[in-house]
Amino acid sequence: MNRPAITPPQPWTFPTPTTTHFDNGMTVLKFDRPGQHLIDATLVLDLPLHTERASIEGVSAILQRCLDEGTRSHPRTDFAEQLENRGAVLNGGVSHSATHVSLEVPTTRFAEALPLFAEAVLEPTLEAADVRRHVELRLAEIGQHRAHPTHRGAEAFRAAVIDDDFRAARSSGGTAASVRRISTDDVHAHYAAHYGPERATLVLAGDFTDDPLPVVRDAFEGWSRTVTTLSSERPLAAPPQVLLIDRPAAVQADVRLGGFGIDRTDPRWPALRLGAFVLGGGFLSRLNRVLREERGYTYGVQLSNTPARHGGLLAMHASFRTEVAAAAIAEARELIRVDGDGALTEAELTDARNFLVGIMPLRCATAAGVADQAAALIDVGLDTGFVNRHAAALELVTPEQATAAIAELLQPDRLSLVVVGDAAVLADQLAAQGLDATVISDPSV
Amino acid sequence: MALMAPVVHYPLHQATLDNGLRVIVNPDPSVPVVAVNLWYDVGSRDERPGRTGLAHLFEHLMFEGSANVTSGEHLATVQSVGGSANATTWFDRTNYFETVPTCALDLALWLEADRLASLQVTQHNLDNQRDVVMEEKRQRYDNVPYGDVMLHLVQLTFPADHPYGHPTIGSMDDLAAATLDDAKAFFATHYAPSNAVLTLVGDIDPTDGIARANSFFGGLAASTRPVREVTAPLPPLTGVPRREVTATVPADAAYLSWRLPASDTPAFDALELALAALGDGQTSRLHRRLVRNDQIAEGAGASTTGLIGGTSLGFASARALPGVAGAQLEDAIVDEFERFIADGPTTAEVDRVKAQYEREWLGELARFDNRADLFSSYATLQGDPEAVNRRLDEIRAVTIDDVAAAASDWLATDQRAVVTYHRERA
Repeated sequence: MNRPAITPPQPWTFPTPTTTHFDNGMTVLKFDRPGQHLIDATLVLDLPLHTERASIEGVSAILQRCLDEGTRSHPRTDFAEQLENRGAVLNGGVSHSATHVSLEVPTTRFAEALPLFAEAVLEPTLEAADVRRHVELRLAEIGQHRAHPTHRGAEAFRAAVIDDDFRAARSSGGTAASVRRISTDDVHAHYAAHYGPERATLVLAGDFTDDPLPVVRDAFEGWSRTVTTLSSERPLAAPPQVLLIDRPAAVQADVRLGGFGIDRTDPRWPALRLGAFVLGGGFLSRLNRVLREERGYTYGVQLSNTPARHGGLLAMHASFRTEVAAAAIAEARELIRVDGDGALTEAELTDARNFLVGIMPLRCATAAGVADQAAALIDVGLDTGFVNRHAAALELVTPEQATAAIAELLQPDRLSLVVVGDAAVLADQLAAQGLDATVISDPSV
Repeated sequence: MALMAPVVHYPLHQATLDNGLRVIVNPDPSVPVVAVNLWYDVGSRDERPGRTGLAHLFEHLMFEGSANVTSGEHLATVQSVGGSANATTWFDRTNYFETVPTCALDLALWLEADRLASLQVTQHNLDNQRDVVMEEKRQRYDNVPYGDVMLHLVQLTFPADHPYGHPTIGSMDDLAAATLDDAKAFFATHYAPSNAVLTLVGDIDPTDGIARANSFFGGLAASTRPVREVTAPLPPLTGVPRREVTATVPADAAYLSWRLPASDTPAFDALELALAALGDGQTSRLHRRLVRNDQIAEGAGASTTGLIGGTSLGFASARALPGVAGAQLEDAIVDEFERFIADGPTTAEVDRVKAQYEREWLGELARFDNRADLFSSYATLQGDPEAVNRRLDEIRAVTIDDVAAAASDWLATDQRAVVTYHRERA
């Protein structure tokens, strides 16, 4: 049977939310997703991490982790029991620009669970015992991450490519030295300074046969704390470096090659997304086709963009077996070149565009999918109409523009290289490739 | 507390093609997307000694080309139409899936049918994908702290010659020994329409969906379905088999396992709830005891891994805070299990874990691809995809006495196996 022809997909657009502004300054976006059995409610609180005092970086994360450890109305474990009794779950996290807290609950129990969710944000008790425990848990987590090649590589790469004058150069959860200093008073002060309705956007997604607004209004309208307004930092790139973090006897090298790039507001963003997909997004990307499918050096290689509010991380990432790691790095540096015959082609761009645009209905098919997409944009100060504007912009990118964006942002001699692996083998291998690595050894890896 | 229960019923349409392929369609027009999901009734339990890892290695080869598709083109083609595709291998099965815009449904079916009809395995592809799988093993198991825990637990919990006695990833030696003839024989034995279930979920009319499945797969020849020997359920473990692992891990850890009944038994459902009460979420007994009260662990939990071949797995685990020994974690876990068995669960606990199960189940069903996978799963392993629609009622029907009895029968602490990690000091 012959290969079936493809007709153009049905046009799809990201849904437009119903927006409500409460008198206290909080914004509510409601996305109706008929047929969904779960409701997702995600609160995004504008809270850039450079507001943390340098000595107690990580305080935003500790605060967020303590939110569900008890409220004035439901102290201590009573809170978690009330929530879990309703089949609900709270999740959360902090990015470098915002704190996220989300509720997921069956539609039938939304009206009972939403007030509990509001309690966690409006009236957490933040008891000393809980703060102390979460500090200890975070310190243990830091230890686990340092011993894990992927986590270690990601953190070292962030630190390598962003000027360390900026908070963005360090993990959102803080370092061992700073987390150790966080006190209960610090957590309370941070809460008082930053948790207020004017900074908050609540994203609701689900089947709203019953209007959720009255329930949300009841729960959040009484929130009245005034908090100071913020500006966010604009990080600068650090000079390129080559780091080799020693993990004695490791059978693979975790490799990151890239730099500090651009965010969604940069005019080159659509061109960069397409170019990065051609080089390292798809299964037969230029990098994966050679390094996995021809050479068998790795389980997979990606070139990924991680946009922040200002700037973003742009990195090739893969784990290569130790013996071939330096050869793989050398080949990767050639594969990401787009000069001369390496210019990106219209055919490559078409496939990349079809994927990036075509995958969106799937990604946004569920309540959680829509809420996650919206929250990611609110996190960096964008409106949710960005999804459709970006899709339209992708259609207009020419191969020349995509090639130029890659050439500017991935200049082979301007990239940082971070390798986590067995330095006893890798240092000489890298040197043979002309890469003089700074070796970092510490007892925790 | 009276809680309004979510009611879920997904309409299913089923057919069996003349060559034995079972087809299931769940129409859902809410998004212009269709999930295509194909389960082959073959997993690592079907591997023979000396060829562990072959089912998974073979899964990789399924992306390496067929009569009308070149190496790697399957995945790249699906991506180029705005879809996603992948495959996974597990003890009980191998699944292949594509989620595509509705306009590309025929293409996805054609790609699946082409490789089932005419997979072309070459020595070059085999050698390349063997390297890739070895890198996958290094990345996921060998190069990360505690990455080998499943290997140890499986070896302690099952006899070496049991179908579940080795992990799906297999051993490096066996992977190295796999030949082209092994791969071809594996394909000929296990990859047949009568040994597969095809599920479509999404923007498709049921009659049309079955007709399309027939137009792409109906022409494939029928062949005999391989016969699998029935594996008798194993009795609980005795003698507390134990392994002490000293490794460069950041903290000590304790992992415990139990043999449980097969995943299609009422006792297994009761044990899912029991282990959730013990170890799922902030209110669970292990979290309260080890993380919140004793403050000896950075995390603690318990869970099940349901398997169909007579015996499933139950787990409990904890990772230590700095300075705490693995033995201390084990003692605390054992203590909580013994208390649970002695006192039984509370009504509030059972209600809570049922409510949590509901949310997790509804979350699984929300995405077309996961939902399709569940229908294929229940059709393949339990014979009836409608069981997905009955699942919440089954869980609601489990009583507190069922949970107490199952815990007492199957989670006794002298029926455990233990892997303890000890931090190696540099």
